[in-house]
Amino acid sequence: MRKKINILATELILCFLMLFMLSGCTGGREINDLEIVIGMGIDKDKDTGKILLTAQVVKEGELGKLSGSGGGGADAKAFWNVSGTGNSVFEAVRQITHKTGNRLFVSHNHAVIFGNDLATEGLQKYIDFFLRAHEMRPTAMILIAENRASDVMDAKPETEKLPAMNIAKLVKAYGFTSHFYKVNMKEFASCLMSETKSPLAPLVGVSQDKDSEDIYVSGMAVFKKDKIVGKLNEHETRGLLWVLGEVKSGVLIVSSPNKEGNAVLEILEAKSKVKPEIKEGKIVINVRINAETSLSEQTTSENLATIEAFEKMQDAQAEIIRHEIMMTFDKSKELNADIFGFGEMIRKKYGKEWKDFKDNWDEIYSTIKLNIDIDVKIQKTDLLKKPAAQKEEGK
Amino acid sequence: MIFLIMIYIVIFLLNVPGLINRKEWRELTVFLVLYIIAFIMGLMYTLDVPIPSPMEGLQYLIAEVLGIKYPKN
Amino acid sequence: MNIEKGKICNMQLLFLIASFVQGSVLLIDFTVGITEHQTWMVILAGLVIAIPFFLSYITLAKRFKGMNVVQINDMVYGRFLGKVISVYYIFFLMMTLSFNIRDVGELHITFLMPDTPFIFLLAVFAATCAYAVAKGLEVLARISHLFAIVGIVVPISTFILLVDQMNFSNFLPLFEVPFIKMFHGTHIMLSIPFGETIVFLMIMGSLDDTEHMARNALIGLLIGTTSLLVVSIRNTAVLGNTQAIWTSPSFQSIRLIDIGTILTRMDFLIGIAQTVLIFFKCCIFFYALVTAVSQLLGLKSYSPLVLPLAGIEVIIAATVFQSPVDHASITQDAGIMYSVPLMFLIPPLTLLIAKIRGLPRPERGKGA
Repeated sequence: MRKKINILATELILCFLMLFMLSGCTGGREINDLEIVIGMGIDKDKDTGKILLTAQVVKEGELGKLSGSGGGGADAKAFWNVSGTGNSVFEAVRQITHKTGNRLFVSHNHAVIFGNDLATEGLQKYIDFFLRAHEMRPTAMILIAENRASDVMDAKPETEKLPAMNIAKLVKAYGFTSHFYKVNMKEFASCLMSETKSPLAPLVGVSQDKDSEDIYVSGMAVFKKDKIVGKLNEHETRGLLWVLGEVKSGVLIVSSPNKEGNAVLEILEAKSKVKPEIKEGKIVINVRINAETSLSEQTTSENLATIEAFEKMQDAQAEIIRHEIMMTFDKSKELNADIFGFGEMIRKKYGKEWKDFKDNWDEIYSTIKLNIDIDVKIQKTDLLKKPAAQKEEGK
Repeated sequence: MIFLIMIYIVIFLLNVPGLINRKEWRELTVFLVLYIIAFIMGLMYTLDVPIPSPMEGLQYLIAEVLGIKYPKN
Repeated sequence: MNIEKGKICNMQLLFLIASFVQGSVLLIDFTVGITEHQTWMVILAGLVIAIPFFLSYITLAKRFKGMNVVQINDMVYGRFLGKVISVYYIFFLMMTLSFNIRDVGELHITFLMPDTPFIFLLAVFAATCAYAVAKGLEVLARISHLFAIVGIVVPISTFILLVDQMNFSNFLPLFEVPFIKMFHGTHIMLSIPFGETIVFLMIMGSLDDTEHMARNALIGLLIGTTSLLVVSIRNTAVLGNTQAIWTSPSFQSIRLIDIGTILTRMDFLIGIAQTVLIFFKCCIFFYALVTAVSQLLGLKSYSPLVLPLAGIEVIIAATVFQSPVDHASITQDAGIMYSVPLMFLIPPLTLLIAKIRGLPRPERGKGA
């Protein structure tokens, strides 16, 4: 009997303790208390020289409403750009709680946009927070604003409700043109840590178009260490991507064999092989590119679907690709920025020799020779065998 | 603090009656000694009394006194 | 007289060892900062060097059938010296257990529950371990294969999910890290997952049949090592040169999983797997600790010691290091040094002395 009472007493005490233990999660946060941040822009405050951080917070209520279906009205924004200033990024993030009343929830952050002034100053000290904070994802994209990041965050897109989502969508669509590519936090950090490889990040700008503001990606910002030194335009970026083997798709325009018009080709697939070599103390990089294209459009009445025309077009394409690559390579020499990562390739292949190159890589980089070997094949002509034109005489 | 005491009361109740019933006096002594050590350590922790870390002592002994250590980067 | 009455079979030993080694998956992070992209080599080197020592533990357990390490020490070194060595062993168990409990706490406080009080996480974890240990070795052994499966499935599935982000040129150049660092890394690897298997000296005495023990134990060790290798290759291939900067490369690489923007945020997978595996490892340590203490003091059962020792362990775990930085730097130095004699000198020595003195003498069954 006494034993039973003892057990009962222990059980009761245990249950009582459980009231404290199992009352819930200490760190729990309800969804209506969250300020879900989907994008962040970081600028330098012109007047004070402090960090100006613009966080794009989702308004859940507005997001649920269908656009156009009364009530909300067309002008109701689904986002709120709230900004804070501070001497560091983290201070600015916490400063924002003065305006939101809640801590920012940055797990769903898609894009981090740095203003041009910060990029000129050096990003290393500003990127730390985004890698360190435990809610931040290493998959968040990093972008550089042509001007001020806050302007990019403000531009209201037409189809998407949230500017940051729109930017993320734009950058993710790089495959259609291969004119830029997306860089996430981890990749950027990896380049920052590399001894030679220059980080790159897409550049975004805002274009004024009558009454609407459009965000566009204009190319890639090239960094030397962590400071911006230049910009690759669309073609130069593609030149880079050819070498990296990252060209997903895109448009190549070559003049047609009779020079009357153009043939427009779509890139279907591109592969690359890069082999570094050291010949007599000099670095030679052999690049081999295999590409497949399809004839997507022609602006001439000549029938291009012939073997001769194909051969001419293939050569012309190879020439364009070579030109794009050389353009990029010259640009990188001009900026003295190893955007291709040739230094890393040499380090990986020639570990011993690398020690001699490492210290004056900047000088060596300008002496690198590039051998390009390109093979382009036209795979198909899509729905037409011949253009919709009158038959030419004599054919 | 209160929490700690409650936990230790539960630990006490879970073990001691059984030990007394089975007349395992040796076990009871060992239990009580460990129990008191654990309780004092818990108390020290909750009252923010610094508890010496055995590893720091070992680190000092091995790295500084005996001089066995790996070079730092 | 052995304190544990339960018996485990050979197959269970295999899974016990496998999941025990897998429990150290998170601990390869100590090595990553030193050996960077050559961590996989260090794991293999550690395994190769560890196997002879591991075999010496097994031979020891085989020779002294049905005895645990405290009894063996008493028999081989005599009452006094034997006790000293046993106390050393118990100290090692206490420390390692507290480090592992702390590891779980750090894992949770950094990645999963940053707002929860640290001591609370430790206490809940230790209480769970205490519960499992109070149930006895047989219960642990019976469920060990489940843990081993978790420890294999999670690394391999995350490996597959990350294949498209892997860049195998990250492993090049093959021999870049200086020798002393490789040596240091090998030492850490040797101590942390492999040398810690010395705890099985406390458990192997409970085997019902020692015939295929060596084979099964080695297979277990290999399964565990495979998991470690998969994880380290995954981390290096995915993270490249950045793997040295993250607090936990495993976590960071899992966070990179992004398949069609749908299959993302798989942190929970690794969170669960790590917690479960370290839990198992802690249980084994804890079991060894309580049985060793009660054997040393000549008690009839270990159950009254479980909760007070858990209380002590929690406080040690909470105060032994100030921060993860402290944790890593001391573990990389003294943390692997102090246990060198225990892991790599005493077992072969014991074996040698036993051979010379012809122990155990067949007519004597008396140990403690």
